Amino acid sequence: MLSGGFVLCTTLLGLLVSSVTIPVPTILNITVVNTFNIIADNTINHIVTTPIYLDWLNDVPRNEEMIIWNIRLPRVLLALCVGASLALAGAAFQGLLRNPLADPYTIGVSSGAALGAVFVLFFQVTIVGLGSYTLPVVAIISGFITLGVVFGLVRLSSRSMAIETIILAGIIVSAFIGSIISLIISLGDRDSMTQIIYWLYGSVGMRGWSHVQLMIPFMLFGSFILLIHYRELNALALGEEAADHIGVNVKRAKIYILIGASLLTGAAVAVSGSIGFVGLVIPHLVRIVTGPNHRHVLPLSMLVGGAFLILADLVARTIIAPKELPIGVITALIGAPVFAALLVRERVGRGKGID
Amino acid sequence: MIKVENLVGGYTNTPIIKGLDFEIEKGEFFALLGPNGSGKTTLFKLITGQLPSQKGDILISGKSISSLSKLEKAKKVAVLTQEVNVSFDYTVEEIISLGRFPHQKGILKTLSKSDKQVIENVMEMTKTKEYRHTQFRMISGGEKQRVLLAKVLAQQPEILLLDEPTNHLDIKHTFQMLDLLKEWQQSKGLTIFAILHDLNVASLYADRIALLHKGTFLEVGDVDTLRKEEQLKKVYEVDVRTQSHPTIPKPQLLMTPNYATSSEIINFPDFFHIEKNSECIHVQFERPLRTISNGVIGEGIQWLKHFCNFHVEKHYNGSDPKKDLQNWMNKYEIPSEQAVGMMTAVNLEDLVIAKKQIEGVQLMVVVTAGTGNAIDISNGVLSESNAQVGTINTMVFVNAHFTDGALVNGFMSATEAKVKALQDLNIKDPETNTLATGTSTDALLLAVTQQGEKTSYSGSGTIVGKAIGQTVYKATQEALQKYFIRLQKRC
Repeated sequence: MLSGGFVLCTTLLGLLVSSVTIPVPTILNITVVNTFNIIADNTINHIVTTPIYLDWLNDVPRNEEMIIWNIRLPRVLLALCVGASLALAGAAFQGLLRNPLADPYTIGVSSGAALGAVFVLFFQVTIVGLGSYTLPVVAIISGFITLGVVFGLVRLSSRSMAIETIILAGIIVSAFIGSIISLIISLGDRDSMTQIIYWLYGSVGMRGWSHVQLMIPFMLFGSFILLIHYRELNALALGEEAADHIGVNVKRAKIYILIGASLLTGAAVAVSGSIGFVGLVIPHLVRIVTGPNHRHVLPLSMLVGGAFLILADLVARTIIAPKELPIGVITALIGAPVFAALLVRERVGRGKGID
Repeated sequence: MIKVENLVGGYTNTPIIKGLDFEIEKGEFFALLGPNGSGKTTLFKLITGQLPSQKGDILISGKSISSLSKLEKAKKVAVLTQEVNVSFDYTVEEIISLGRFPHQKGILKTLSKSDKQVIENVMEMTKTKEYRHTQFRMISGGEKQRVLLAKVLAQQPEILLLDEPTNHLDIKHTFQMLDLLKEWQQSKGLTIFAILHDLNVASLYADRIALLHKGTFLEVGDVDTLRKEEQLKKVYEVDVRTQSHPTIPKPQLLMTPNYATSSEIINFPDFFHIEKNSECIHVQFERPLRTISNGVIGEGIQWLKHFCNFHVEKHYNGSDPKKDLQNWMNKYEIPSEQAVGMMTAVNLEDLVIAKKQIEGVQLMVVVTAGTGNAIDISNGVLSESNAQVGTINTMVFVNAHFTDGALVNGFMSATEAKVKALQDLNIKDPETNTLATGTSTDALLLAVTQQGEKTSYSGSGTIVGKAIGQTVYKATQEALQKYFIRLQKRC
């Protein structure tokens, strides 16, 4: 409940705060009316003879409606979706790998997806039949392939899937992919270079409804897959062998969870660039409050992650207004120290466990 | 319940398990024993299904294990292994709840009321309720294993597979855990298949055992199979001796180390020293002696160093003579757990110490004697007579190497000699007026140094037996004569 309220408040705040101040009732008015009209358009208006529209917007200036509906709302919604996706993917990776330090970023999925996205953006590729969905699909697939490479590397180096090895392999693969991205960028001209670099830092600005549309199907599907596997994630805390003994189909669960998490990560990276640390830090903070049960951790990570990214975006666009900081900079500035703190806490926690 | 047919399996093409056939009945505790590398864990993994079998089949209640889905299997079979690491800070209760995984129903698969009831019950049984909200990683190793056991029991399995479940546990937690399992086995008809590394623990808890050696069963049978010392020696390559548990009819194994314990031969007269006063005779040896005795303290066959005879009042009637003896020994700083303790009302000044060497057998006999309570064991009825001064306490020390059988032989020899001494002095049972065979409270100990060649006989037909008999006879007579002189003086 509390986190639900948190999400609503940050959404409102995200809509409210900017260079042009628009009063809250107006914002609410615009959102509700437009939402209703779109829903009505898509449902009832097909059937009834006289279309139903709410027209309470007559006294709202046209430019205010434009700002709220076409610029701020999609931006806030995109931040919400991206934050929720990354945090949920992070929570799932951490549960699956039994590793509190795993997240899409540290195990290399983000970089992989970014490589796919850069490839599509730079070469303006469109796969026939996918249209504008080429970008997220390629990002998701390349993220998934990267995950495969990382796991393959871990398999080859140690049979035990040790926590440290996964992180290490993720970092190595990330570094390698980073250099390929640099290579692609350096082949291009100055303009596209700045554009891609800025994109890589991560941002939810200047996207519009088309990106929200791009994101949502993948997000819904990925979240659904992960949320129905919360029991398996809990069971995996005992280790794969013990999970098998209580009746978990470990192999199948692992594949589903990896697919779900890769869908979320790939889609998020495709629309917003690589935004680090959300997937790492948010599940942790949630776990500190609710305990490690994935039944609570997964949905709450989504909500808190979404809210967190809306706030981060808010900070990014207001702190040096009228210019904007890339949102990835903000999340990294907050996330990196927290990551460090978690590392230390983890060691201290483990030390206590040994007897 | 579990039926294994011609099972072959392993990690590579050369199988570790080479064709096993066995069956475990419902409600049976079946223990799998064998040294490291014998294939115990491989067999275990084949049965849990983690390792596919190369040949043969495993049937659970008549169904092949490979035909069961993971969930179906988990409803019937639970597995408890050595300590597992749990990631994240799950609480004890959350871990135990995981045991309900295969039973959860519905779309949301939340814990139902009956699930919660089961969890409450197992927490009650395993005494894990008190730390249900504690983080799993914060509790001690023994408690962790108990929590994992609770999780396994929450699974409500028909079959429980255990892989060295007590490996890291101290004896308190080991016995707690196995008692709990045994209770569950007996009350719920749980079938248990367990790898146990401790043969003695297996003997105490298992109904049947199997001895695995190089991928095949060398022996399968009830726990008395562990009495087959030769087979154990073959499998473990350790000198194993089987003994019976002192209070329950189960075998217990004793292992002999390969290194020799102080083999230096000590000259018998230098072996001991004797302290005596009016309260106590204390014979102390340098090294423990293999001792058989019926003393109040130090009964049975043991290795002991101190041999004591304490003087008590004529009408001593302590309710706890053992406790009294321990107190007196404490006073003299004698460790009572390494001692034989006897008591007598006879004046200790009348003690006789006979040191002899008869045909190469060195021995010493220490006797205190009185005949106030003389009894003919073959005659009359048991009567509550007044306690008189009169007990014959005999200590026999022999410089020889006896088997346990020879010890009993020697004990008989000494007793026979004592009876003969009484009869030759014409001592009578006052009740029946027939020749007495002893007194009502005679004590005897025979202690040997275990030096020299091992003998398994020391009865009347052997030199040692004769030596014991002759020395005891003479010493007893001499002690009795001293006792009579004292009696006459008093009159």
